Order: sequence, then C-alpha cells, then structure tokens
Amino acid sequence: METCTVGISVATANELPRDVPLSDDGIKENERALVIAAQRGDGSAFSALVRAHQRRAYAVCRAIVFTHEDAEDAVQEGFLHAFKALDRFLPDQPFGAWLYRIMANASLDLVRRRKVRDADELPETLAIPFRDPGEADELRRRLAEALAKIPERQRSVIVLHDVEGFTHGEIGTMLGIPEGTARSDLHHARAALRRLLDDMRSDL
Amino acid sequence: MSEFGLYPDGDEEVTRGLRALYAAPSGYGYWNELESRIMARVASVELAWWDEFDRWVRPALVLAALLIIAAAIAMNRAQKEATDSAYSAILAPPPVPGPENIRPTLMLDRDATLRYILAPRPDTSRNH
Repeated sequence: METCTVGISVATANELPRDVPLSDDGIKENERALVIAAQRGDGSAFSALVRAHQRRAYAVCRAIVFTHEDAEDAVQEGFLHAFKALDRFLPDQPFGAWLYRIMANASLDLVRRRKVRDADELPETLAIPFRDPGEADELRRRLAEALAKIPERQRSVIVLHDVEGFTHGEIGTMLGIPEGTARSDLHHARAALRRLLDDMRSDL
Repeated sequence: MSEFGLYPDGDEEVTRGLRALYAAPSGYGYWNELESRIMARVASVELAWWDEFDRWVRPALVLAALLIIAAAIAMNRAQKEATDSAYSAILAPPPVPGPENIRPTLMLDRDATLRYILAPRPDTSRNH
C-alpha cells in the first residue's frame, strides 16, 4: 500500500489519540506524513486529519455562523472542500491554517446563503437556546442579544480571539482581512458589547 | 488571550458567557459521529468521482485512439506529398526556352507558309 512509502500505516493513522490537537513538532511531522498519505489517496490518513482538527474547525465555523447546526454543516462542507483541494496543498505549509481558512470560507458562504433565505429570523435564532430564567442563563441571553446586534465580522473576531485564542494574524488570514482590521474589529466589538450590555443592565 | 479582565468586574462574566455560548460539544460520541458523517460525505464524493470517471473513460480512450490514428494518417500523407514534390523538382526536365527565343523562327515559318499559300500557281487545268 502507498502509505508504507511515507512511513505511516493505516494502523498508525487509526492509533492517533482522539480529540488531542496536533501541536508538538513531532506530531506536526506526523501530520505532514498524514497529509502526504492522504494526497496519495489514503482514506484513513484523511480520517486521522479530520479527527485531529474537527474540534478547532467546529470552533472556527461556530464563531462565524449563527447556530450549532449551521456550524456542523459548515464543518462538513469545509472538510469536503479540503478533501477536493488536498492535491493542491503543499505539505510543508501549516495544514491547520490552510484548513481553517477553508472552514471560514465555508462558513461565510453558508451565512450568505442563510441571509438570502431567512434574514429576519437571525436575531431570534441566536436567542432561542438561552431563555432559562437562571442568572447565568439570563446573562447568556442578554449576551446573545448583544452579539446579534454587532456586525457579523466583529462578532466572529471577538469569538475567535477571546474564546478560541486565535491571534489577530490568524484571524485576519481566516477571514481574509488585514491583521490591523482584525485588531480594530476586536476593539470595536468589545466596545459595542460593553455598551449594549450596560444598556441592558440599566434597563433591568 | 482574553482582555476582558481589563474591563469592570462584570466583564469577566461576559467572557465566561461567550465561552459558554460558543463552547464546542463535549464527549467522544459526538466527535466520533461527526467524523463518521464527514468521512461518509467524502466517500460519497470519491465514489461519484470514480463512477463519473468510469463512465467516461472508455469513450475517451476510443476517441483518443481515433484521434491518434487520424493524426498519424495526416502526418503520413503530408510527408508523402512533401517527398513527391521534392522528387518532382529534382527529376523535372530543364525549362523550355522562352517565347522571345522562338518567336523569330516561328515568324519565319509562318511567313513561309503564307508565301506558299498566296503565291501564284501554274494553271494545271489547261494541260488536261
């Protein structure tokens, strides 16, 4: 089988720990081998790449789309695009950055399609899961309302930065904007959230 | 990472709220299932691609073979024509002299013919 030529096997791909992000140099070297094997048509190698990156890919998509279900759709769509474009990827490049850019594009496409279909329902969609009367849930509900009021890109930037810990540069690459714009979006998003939440607090 | 700590106290809560809102699902079962769904979609694309390829591969091969044969025949003919014309050029007789060289001769012959026709002839009928 072709995987033997790159020094990994199906068994190796399947033995990768589940849900552990690939971050160490050794693991990145393994990732490179997996990419090369996947490019040669090894399905289990691609499966191992999916396993290693799906959690972060979901987080990227979730920051851009409006619901969990849309994030799942975008993740699947993104991996499909990645699979189709895999032979054009250079294995020496960071696979994660390339993949998350694809995920962001898939999510932005999905948002555009949703907008055309049901633009009026979006703010309500965001608020639906957070109507419990508890204090924490009340904050979440208000936060969801506030997030629905700030521009989409600012919302994506603040989630990617504050929740997922991506740098400004990484966010800029993913969303196709300059790093400085990502930085300023983050600043504006925080200011807007603070203002909106203060308004809500004063209304209580 | 988060700079909400720089805000008034309540903003720490906002950061926690954001993380709760956007938290990825936990549990191996969920991620295993998502991975299965992703791979199922990838496999369906792979199969579709192969089926499509399989459907077109034979006609494409036949067409390619026909094109190759046609191209070979055309090349052969072109080469033969070039060879023939080269041989013709070599074996052709030397060019005939130009009309300016033969004109005086022709004119002399024509004049002689005319003179012969117009010349008075002896009356042969009287002899009979």
